[in-house]
Amino acid sequence: MLVIRRRAGEALFIGDGVEIRILEVGPSQVKLGISAPKEVTVLRSEVRQTQQANLEAARQGSPESVKDLLRKLRQ
Amino acid sequence: MPTMLRCASKNFGIVEYEADSVIRFPRGLPGFESETLFVPIEREASKPVLFLQSLVTPQLCFITMPVESVKPGYELRVSDEDLELIGATDGMSASLRCLAVICTGRQRPTANLLGPVVINLETHQAVQAVRDDARYAVQHPLFPEPEAGGCS
Repeated sequence: MLVIRRRAGEALFIGDGVEIRILEVGPSQVKLGISAPKEVTVLRSEVRQTQQANLEAARQGSPESVKDLLRKLRQ
Repeated sequence: MPTMLRCASKNFGIVEYEADSVIRFPRGLPGFESETLFVPIEREASKPVLFLQSLVTPQLCFITMPVESVKPGYELRVSDEDLELIGATDGMSASLRCLAVICTGRQRPTANLLGPVVINLETHQAVQAVRDDARYAVQHPLFPEPEAGGCS
């Protein structure tokens, strides 16, 4: 992983179109400003994890697996 | 008399539902941005499981459970942006219902406690309110792991 040190007000570029600017550095959080082309999706990692969990949940949930879940809940 | 409508469902064939019961996700769910309309299906025999059946895609049905029954004492602060999206205000927590999406697959079913679904029971609008902390897991095991080295 590439590691870069930056201060508030400084920026970095990824490829031609994505700019990430450090807007504010707080004690527990960093505020970033991201400029990217429309076709580039910017997601918090938590949202991405939830996206993947949703896709997996949607693939599953067959009637049999639901029955199995309910049986386990009753135990 | 409530208006009854019918839709195809993944688990229950054709189901009847009240027009007023439809839950709208103005922004869809992560990974399912165009899925904005769901019918809640609750069966006595399946409690506390609540099925969220898509009205757009018959084969799409999320299995959910109230977060309280998965993780008693679960705490969530819904962002102002999400509250606005579902037509709620900060003081409306009593009319919000919080559900965890269940992955039934493989050996161990898990509940997504990182991104609970929050429904405003007054407006019937909902959002998957993804947390910005790591306090709860995206794959929270529903049942305790069997002890290793037990009798075989």
